[in-house]
Amino acid sequence: MDMNEIKEIFFQECEEQLAELESGLLKLNDGDRDPETVNAVFRAVHSIKGGAGAFGLDDLVAFAHVFETTLDCVRSGKLEPGQDVLKVMLKSADVLADLVSASRDGGSVDESRTRGLVKELEALAHGELPSASGHDAPKPAAKPAPAAAPAPKAETPKPTDDSGFQPIPFTFDGFGEEEEPVIEGSTYEVVFKPRRELYSKGNEAALLLRDLSRVGEMSIACDTDALLDLDKMDPEESYFSWKISVKTTKSEDDIRVVFEFAEWDCDLEVKFADEASSDEEQPMRPVPFDLSILDDAPSAEDEDKQAEHGSDQTVAEAVSAAETATSIAKAAGAAARAAERKESAAAAAAAAQNNAAAAAASAGQTIRVDLDRVDRLINLVGELVINQAMLSQSVIENDATGTSSINMGLEELQQLTREIQDSVMAIRAQPVKPVFQRMSRIVREVADMVGKQIRLVTEGENTEVDKTVIDKLAEPLTHMIRNAVDHGIESPEKREAAGKNPEGTIKLTAKHRSGRILIELQDDGAGINRERVRQKAIDNDIIAADANLSDDEIDNLIFMAGFSTADKISDISGRGVGMDVVKRSIQALGGRISISSRPGFGSTFTMSLPLTLAVLDGMVVTVAGQTLVVPLTAIVETLQPEASAIHSFGASQRLISIRNSFCPLVDVGRVLNYRSTQANPVEGVALLVESEGGGQRALMVDAIQGQRQVVIKSLEANYTHVPGIAAATILGDGRVALILDVDAVVAASRGQSLRPEMSLAATG
Amino acid sequence: MAAKKAGPENLKLAAVLDLNEASVLHGKLISMRGSDIVLDASDVDRVGVQCAQVLVAGARAWKEDKKSFVVEKASDAFEKTMQLIGINIDNLVAKEI
Repeated sequence: MDMNEIKEIFFQECEEQLAELESGLLKLNDGDRDPETVNAVFRAVHSIKGGAGAFGLDDLVAFAHVFETTLDCVRSGKLEPGQDVLKVMLKSADVLADLVSASRDGGSVDESRTRGLVKELEALAHGELPSASGHDAPKPAAKPAPAAAPAPKAETPKPTDDSGFQPIPFTFDGFGEEEEPVIEGSTYEVVFKPRRELYSKGNEAALLLRDLSRVGEMSIACDTDALLDLDKMDPEESYFSWKISVKTTKSEDDIRVVFEFAEWDCDLEVKFADEASSDEEQPMRPVPFDLSILDDAPSAEDEDKQAEHGSDQTVAEAVSAAETATSIAKAAGAAARAAERKESAAAAAAAAQNNAAAAAASAGQTIRVDLDRVDRLINLVGELVINQAMLSQSVIENDATGTSSINMGLEELQQLTREIQDSVMAIRAQPVKPVFQRMSRIVREVADMVGKQIRLVTEGENTEVDKTVIDKLAEPLTHMIRNAVDHGIESPEKREAAGKNPEGTIKLTAKHRSGRILIELQDDGAGINRERVRQKAIDNDIIAADANLSDDEIDNLIFMAGFSTADKISDISGRGVGMDVVKRSIQALGGRISISSRPGFGSTFTMSLPLTLAVLDGMVVTVAGQTLVVPLTAIVETLQPEASAIHSFGASQRLISIRNSFCPLVDVGRVLNYRSTQANPVEGVALLVESEGGGQRALMVDAIQGQRQVVIKSLEANYTHVPGIAAATILGDGRVALILDVDAVVAASRGQSLRPEMSLAATG
Repeated sequence: MAAKKAGPENLKLAAVLDLNEASVLHGKLISMRGSDIVLDASDVDRVGVQCAQVLVAGARAWKEDKKSFVVEKASDAFEKTMQLIGINIDNLVAKEI
């Protein structure tokens, strides 16, 4: 594994840590005071810092260090994570994310912003709460120098002798450019007290100490005072603790990184100390310990040294150095050796090693797989499905009698194919959480910019959907969130005047509904100003001045192309900036978007997206000689209409009576312009479908061919968007069939006709 | 395992003295309380801190009982791990009084 690969993994992990960081901070913001949440947040920043240090990403390290220190104050209870504090923290998380991106992709970050936040964070660490006006907090002695590596604390704290872990607040006096991180041969005092959990989670203090011994020259003293009598002790409890003195040229971080994955199950204190003070105050005599103990074959010199140490040991006498020269390697285990090899590659190895250990310890293991490989697999499975359908078809065609063994084999094949497909799809399924989390940053930033107070509430962020959908969701969602903040939510003054909470709320929810994912974006703003939207639509020639539109129809005007010029309508209290673009993106995903708005109470955007863009269960039907696929999820039932059940309604509308209720009958062939005259319903089949907006419609088709799983081939990618058609597929006989967009067809039947210039569907 | 009059009892330590072994070892030591004991650590490949704790507690108990607690034939791994975790093998071994 070369350096770049390791670095790539680091950045991937950074993404995860950043997500963790943000969700933790948001939890704190919501009043969560669970120490584990604070720990998780701290851990995230700490891990980023540790990895960044290994790669020499100094800017990142410097900022993470300041951030971490302030978080440490929160962790130790010195700093109460109130709203003001969290505001700074959230902004810092954003900057940290920017720094990570800048480190990965190059580019630069807003340095003044970074500097400002460093100041604010430092002020917080010094116990100064942020002033309402901004951040004119007194500056600490030294200027923050982005290039400075994590600096050990300059002033030597007195070694604590209590066993409880007291996180050490850092002063920033030493965090200046004039200070070199580590003086040659610095000595650190480490107090390490594992808790029971450390062992029960499969960690081993001895191995951590071994790793620590690799950092530098180590002296150790084991505190056994806590040990209970043999008959009273619990053999699985943790009694021992250690005071360790490490003389090293490495930094404090290199020491901390040893304990990185056990840090939460132990009390750990790492202090910079000069040797004199540490020796005086050590209550226990450290046992000198040299690194060679871990080597496979200790040198003769090493053996001598050990013999010296053990000169008065009665037991050691029995053991000659010669006969025992080999076995420590077993103790260290193969993993350690593997890790050792890596060590030559980079300082990152320490982190990698710990990673490996942590990964091995945790039950649920994951691997990272290049998305391209998964996509290739999915494509292949798609081909397999098509192929299997073709095979079935040719068997049926060539062997009308169909021996049962062939049929059974085919059925099994079909089932297997389906299982493979489901499993492969599951690989791509990802929770929408990362996208939702990105939105919270956008809300913060835009709200700050426009001077509004807005809270983003997310729900169902663990709802899973295909990765492609997630990736493509971010952009339209960002757009909509910006709109909601900018235009949806009113200014605090206006809100107060309207008797609302000055803090606006935007709610983002995701849920599964009938085989699709439904994403709702709800704000409690002023809602759409229909008068102005209508006027704008008239001014822009989108609708006729005398058009009679329902509220819903007016609301949906904002998705029209003519509404997209921002400067013209940004003063509209409703919405409208580029919503046509949003709609196009959503449609390109095979999704739909709609809006409902209540003046004074806010608006709700509802997006319905397919869970996957790869396969779908469909009913294959014939309409005017064309083969179409209707997504099975949309179909409630199918029925053969009788003449007595068909009723005319108005000039051209027809209704079908189903179990004492009337349901509009939609002639699919007519809507798609396959034919110019209405077909006779009695000769066809009606598919009762449920549409997105609720309500049922009976879609009339000529005949049902069968039910099949089809592989979705995007029309947008291969041709262009066709109204009323969601996508295409290849059938078993090799023909292309179009997949019906049920909601578009239903909407068209309601009078919102498929736009004439787009009626290419007729020829598709 | 009741104390026998003739000579010290022997206890061969397992190769892997890990978390799982700690309770086993603890149980064995408790059952051998009262007699001199010789621990054979020649096969030990790995020592976890929890077993070390049990051994130190054992050594103390034996000392209290004024019985001998001797580790014999310590393997390299045993010795070095003890040294690594800062347990002076001297403290562990209560010499015969």
